[in-house]
Amino acid sequence: MVKTQFRVLYRQFLFRIVDLELLSTQGEISKLLGQFASLLVFLGLIFSFAVCGLTGDDMPARARLIASWGIEHLLIATTMLIVGLFAVLSWDSMFPDQRDVLVLVPLPVRASTMFLAKVAAIATGLAVTVAALNVLPGFPAPLALAPLNSGLIGLPRSFAAYWITMFAAGAFIFCCVLGVQGLAAQVLPRRQFLRVSSLLQIAAFCVFVSTYFLQPSLASPEALTAVHNQHWLACLPSYWFLGMFEQLNGSMQPALAPLAIRAWVGLAIAGSATTFVYSLSYFRTLRRIAEEPDIVPRFHRLRWLPRLGGSLETAIGQFSIRTLLRSRKHRLILAFYLGIGLALTILFVEMLAIQQQPGVASANNLWRHPNAGLLVSSVVMMFFGVLGTRVGFAMPLDLTANWIFRVTPVGGVTECLQASRRALLVLSVVPIWTAWAVVLLWLWPWWPAAGHLAVLAILGIAVAEVTLAGFRKIPFTCSYLPGKSNVHLTFWLCVGVFGLLVDQGAELELHALWHPASYAMMIAILLGAVALARRRTAVLTKSEALQFEDAPSPAVMVLGLHQD
Amino acid sequence: MLELRNVCKRFLAVTAVDNVSFSARPGEVTGYLGPNASGKSTTMKMITGLIGMTSGEILFDGDRIHRDLLNYKRRFGYVPEEPHLYSHLTGLEYLVMVGQLRGLPFKRTAERIDGLLQLLGLHGSRHSPLSAYSKGMRQKVLLSAALLHNPDLILLDEPFSGLDVASALVIRNLLKEMARRGKVVLLSSHELETVERVCTHVVILHRAKVVADDSIERLRTLMALPTLEDIFSQLAVEQDPVSISREIVDLILA
Repeated sequence: MVKTQFRVLYRQFLFRIVDLELLSTQGEISKLLGQFASLLVFLGLIFSFAVCGLTGDDMPARARLIASWGIEHLLIATTMLIVGLFAVLSWDSMFPDQRDVLVLVPLPVRASTMFLAKVAAIATGLAVTVAALNVLPGFPAPLALAPLNSGLIGLPRSFAAYWITMFAAGAFIFCCVLGVQGLAAQVLPRRQFLRVSSLLQIAAFCVFVSTYFLQPSLASPEALTAVHNQHWLACLPSYWFLGMFEQLNGSMQPALAPLAIRAWVGLAIAGSATTFVYSLSYFRTLRRIAEEPDIVPRFHRLRWLPRLGGSLETAIGQFSIRTLLRSRKHRLILAFYLGIGLALTILFVEMLAIQQQPGVASANNLWRHPNAGLLVSSVVMMFFGVLGTRVGFAMPLDLTANWIFRVTPVGGVTECLQASRRALLVLSVVPIWTAWAVVLLWLWPWWPAAGHLAVLAILGIAVAEVTLAGFRKIPFTCSYLPGKSNVHLTFWLCVGVFGLLVDQGAELELHALWHPASYAMMIAILLGAVALARRRTAVLTKSEALQFEDAPSPAVMVLGLHQD
Repeated sequence: MLELRNVCKRFLAVTAVDNVSFSARPGEVTGYLGPNASGKSTTMKMITGLIGMTSGEILFDGDRIHRDLLNYKRRFGYVPEEPHLYSHLTGLEYLVMVGQLRGLPFKRTAERIDGLLQLLGLHGSRHSPLSAYSKGMRQKVLLSAALLHNPDLILLDEPFSGLDVASALVIRNLLKEMARRGKVVLLSSHELETVERVCTHVVILHRAKVVADDSIERLRTLMALPTLEDIFSQLAVEQDPVSISREIVDLILA
């Protein structure tokens, strides 16, 4: 009986790690999970190519050591990032919710069975995430990283060391997230916990993304032993697990020994503390949910919002603003993109800080003059801000409630597109532009600041327009169909192209800011691009019906020859 | 007048609505009855334009609704079967949004919303999120949203679900009053006693087909049965409820 209950609950909890209410009627949870898994496998494939580069014999020993540490560290850090993101995304499914309590508590199911099923489901999710990411590099890496002359035992030992390290690194980061969540659930009243929990989730997200992108590269014997790097090594767990791998692999260098110890101690503390706190808070939460209703959001401060044009634009715009600000899921999506943007911005600003000599007179201060670092940073933030908001628009909230938009006379795609455009501009371009206006007008003389702000505004509008091409929806009201298009690949391709262009663009803009004719031409070109993008959006959405249900791509494409 | 002519709806091999024809006239509350899965909600969704028909036509005031769907949408108010609302919005924000979507003048809508919230006892919780509303309160918000634009046609699918006695009495009288003022009211409900008190005319659906379409008074006379419940049982209930309940108890005890 208990075994059957465990099996049933395990399956339910496992498939509820992802929010099922997003899905279109034709969407399947297995497809969505398959899409995530394939994305991780694809990432792993890229790493395995990098690992294969280490297998050549022609590399000097020292270069080989640094390269292998670099790749090991990259694999460990990426595993930790992915597990961290997985933990943040499945944040809400760590504890039982009101639905679980209402359905399961009246049934003769022991709380311990529910608890074990939940833990097993979470562990499966974690294991699948680590395995999917490492399945491809997990074979060539041990081959390349096994110590030279380690004999027959070397390869299986390296293989075991690789997988133990990856699972240990994943478990460590997961336990940290779960432990923090459990501690908050234990210490705070439930309503307070639910409020704080949302902030913790976003904070964890930002910490994982920025740590991954910003952590210094210390994978060399000199960097690992340098005194000034010791504080970095003490607070960067990815290096601890590099030490653990080297220890298990039998290729331990003295510089890594303290890090390996730190990894074992950290893992033991995180594991035992989390087991204790999580189990305690799980049973406590179960009781509290029955006693208290779920969270009642506090948002009385947002009673007034400006009008955004006509009544339809205002309705859709205000609905979008409220949804993005109040929905944790959507805030999280935005935080992911803003986190990447912020990490890159910090990177550019850091580079500028390195160039700047301390104690230089203000006339020669790099910060006080237009520079490529700040130009690129502002454009990068704008790009990721618009992109994150647009991705959020595609994810529904309370899908079953979208009937109200279907029975009211909201007009056609053109009217709704105009409303969506305004909402996108208000939610992404306006706040990012305003923040940069404050920074640039404070740092720079008025003309270059104003000149760049004009460019930034036009670029923001252009990116918004490009992302809206083919958008035939009202934000947050259309279901999500996984596997329809290769969104992630397109996204990273766009990021790649953008990365190549933005640096060149900054140099051109720096020149143009001091040459009125060039500046006028640049503005004209950008306005032309906006006009073209707008025309393309209009063409792509012309004569199409408003979409509330994401449809699969047709098996047979119509050529539309009758239109010619 | 709302008129359905030979309306059919098929989902692959399943016929949800089969050749349904009836009219709902202004000044009357028309009851639309049927057992579970008889096609009531599907018909309601077709009348609102939420789903399309397989065949047949729906006319409002003599015009096919799909000829100018946008204009038709301006003229009806709809209370759906389930109170699905955007739970992150407050009651007031939701109603303001509906007013804006309908393009109603801001000041008059604000006054109307305020009045509706006060009359329906929701004014005190207008700034609370809909997630904190009880089922009855959500039902009242839906009703307010459906009446906000003074519709000519009011479509209600189980509007009494979750309402307390006092609120249900208010809604009953409200429907009668709306009909008296010339509105077309189509009410789908399982509460036969309420339907009997509110409606003058009923359409009974069974296995996706209309089996009765007349005034309650005439049905009583024709079938020589005293109540609507008896008429409904005769026309739409195939199994004997007493023997079914006996079988259920036997099954549990076995």
